[in-house]
Amino acid sequence: MIRRGGYRSGVRGLHRIGPVGNLLILAGFLAVGLSASVALKLVALGIILVLVLVSDSAPREFLGHLRFVAIFAGVLFIAQVLSVREGETLFHLGVSITEKGLLSGASMALRFLVILTSSFLFVSVTDPDRLARVLIRIGIPYRYGYVLILALRFVPFFRDELRTVRAAQRIRGIRTSVRSLSGIRRAVRFTFVPVLVSGLMRVDSIAMSMKGRCFGLYPTRTSASPERLRLTDGIAAIGAGVLVTASVFAGRCAWL
Amino acid sequence: MSSTSRPAIDFERLTVRFPDRDRPAVFEVTERIEPGEVVAITGPSGCGKTTLCRAVAGFIPSLVPADVSGDVNLGGTSVLASDPAHLAVRVGLVQQDPDAQICTLNVRQEVAFGPENLCLSPDEVNRRVDDALRTTGIEHLADRVTTTLSGGEKQRLAIASILAMEPEIILLDEPTANLDPPGAKGIFDTLRVLRRDEGRTLVIAEHRLGPLLPLEPRLWVMDEGRIVARRATRRREDLVELGLRAAWPRRPGGDAPSSDALVALRDASFGYDERRVIDRLTFAPAGGEIVGVIGPNGGGKTTLLQLLAGLESPQEGTAERADGLRIGMIFQHPHQQIFERTVRRELEIEGALTDEGRAALLEEARLDGFDEVPPLSLSLGEQRRLTVTTAFRTEPDLLLLDEPFIGQDRHNAAWMIGRILTARDRGGAVVLVSHDVSLLASLCDRLLFLGDDVIDGRPAEVFARLREAGAEAFTPGYWEGEGGRP
Repeated sequence: MIRRGGYRSGVRGLHRIGPVGNLLILAGFLAVGLSASVALKLVALGIILVLVLVSDSAPREFLGHLRFVAIFAGVLFIAQVLSVREGETLFHLGVSITEKGLLSGASMALRFLVILTSSFLFVSVTDPDRLARVLIRIGIPYRYGYVLILALRFVPFFRDELRTVRAAQRIRGIRTSVRSLSGIRRAVRFTFVPVLVSGLMRVDSIAMSMKGRCFGLYPTRTSASPERLRLTDGIAAIGAGVLVTASVFAGRCAWL
Repeated sequence: MSSTSRPAIDFERLTVRFPDRDRPAVFEVTERIEPGEVVAITGPSGCGKTTLCRAVAGFIPSLVPADVSGDVNLGGTSVLASDPAHLAVRVGLVQQDPDAQICTLNVRQEVAFGPENLCLSPDEVNRRVDDALRTTGIEHLADRVTTTLSGGEKQRLAIASILAMEPEIILLDEPTANLDPPGAKGIFDTLRVLRRDEGRTLVIAEHRLGPLLPLEPRLWVMDEGRIVARRATRRREDLVELGLRAAWPRRPGGDAPSSDALVALRDASFGYDERRVIDRLTFAPAGGEIVGVIGPNGGGKTTLLQLLAGLESPQEGTAERADGLRIGMIFQHPHQQIFERTVRRELEIEGALTDEGRAALLEEARLDGFDEVPPLSLSLGEQRRLTVTTAFRTEPDLLLLDEPFIGQDRHNAAWMIGRILTARDRGGAVVLVSHDVSLLASLCDRLLFLGDDVIDGRPAEVFARLREAGAEAFTPGYWEGEGGRP
């Protein structure tokens, strides 16, 4: 199956938690991702995968999205292992593989995985409309809240347009390569321009649609279905607190 | 709705000229539309219908830069001197592309978006949302995610979103152009409800006029920015008298396909996310035949073309192509397959041309003199002719066309049909995706319906089976009287 990604509605796992709770959980995972502890990041990655399974995130599709993330994490790991010379040498593979190289590679790859998987999970379980409403409720001007919604709505649009433009290039025998400066210039012109034209046309229509429904007429707006904090958000806040605390302490404990 | 003796819309010598255009898009239009009246605007692509609608809604020149003279008054309020956000309580515009006007991800929130911007109380917002959903017949969709709706459902949502603003005037700019036949039928049914129960002033830019007749509209025919004909229309004969009901020419001949299949899908399946759009399809267009593909929005028609072209591979089953098969493909939107800075360079992507060869191609496409013009500055019709010309340059054996007639006037459509027939007569296979069932009925040797069921056969057989299945909107009978495009 071709995977399209983005928010999926659901009722299980993280889908039961409001946007604030999910935002806090994301913050917790980001804190862990930025910490130095390999063990903690490994645990966090395990928790994220469990959350994927217990939420309505279509695990197969979700893991499909992560294929390139995993490949890139592997590349990061290998690059670090091969380039770090400090520390005790464990074995030779043409070059010396050191303990510090392995740890550094694992740390960087896991950091990348934790940050990306938690972000993907957040996007797949959080309704951007509800998130924007919460942000507006906590004082962010509503124009900025809707910028977030529109940005998220444009992601699948640009992805689909890019696929179509690349298909048109293949049909017409246009080959683009990014291995040289002229190749990059050609790729930008042949890919970026048609996608940009589509984007600008879409922006015009959306702007008319919003302006044509009085968007921006007043400094504030009503919310007919205001977001309220729920018990699950409180539980999520506690979980996020645990993650942040663990990441702070992990930095102080050498054995982690 | 307020009652007033003033016209709902009063055009006073309205002229709109866009900065990069030689002639005005709208020229000295002076007309009146009374409250509660229905006006249908028709005319070839680029004749000024969209510009007129956008001018009434106040988007020109505030959002779309243009030189404007004259004025439009809505119940005495000058549109040109007003912010469109202020006008939105009096006039609402439903645009052509349903995807391009939805701002949120939930149906109920989308309808509430406008009333919330008016700072109405939550109770009043909810009342308006419920009323609008009921009027457009989409209450059952209230809790759905907008991205999961069909095209027709999205367009009815767009109408509901405008209705919730409770404007006196609703403008609809080709609201059915991108919709499958059942989706379009749903829109026309909704318009009848608005006319019958709501009594609103409706201005509808449309190519399909037959289904509008029950609304008894006053018809304006536009050409080159002017209103060149106007009259009340109630019967199909009124359209005939205006020259708007000419049938598509019947395809010549009816010969059997000239060769074996050029490409064959066998038990092919393909899907996105967890949904299969093509499910164990076996399909093999042969040389010398035109196959029309119809079906609901999201039914897999575009995916089918991609599988035939080899742009995607079946996730199950096989796709086989004849050796050395030359493929030409026309995408839905011309700008998606235009890449170069000038028309001349665009024509030479497939290989260099002599001056004479290039001149002949441009003349045939009615683009002579455009050699050094940036292709994206051309009109939609000109861009389409350019993309058809580039696709035909290599004399493809397999020609794949994805909704090539959307937004095209009858002249352009007839020009494309001529090219398609030439390709068929040369022995090529043509696979044509379109929602225009009247045109397909006239043009195609064979039809493929891609829906919950797959029906493949001669057009008459396919239409008969669709009628049996209760899918009349996919048969020419439902659109009888629309007369194709003006």
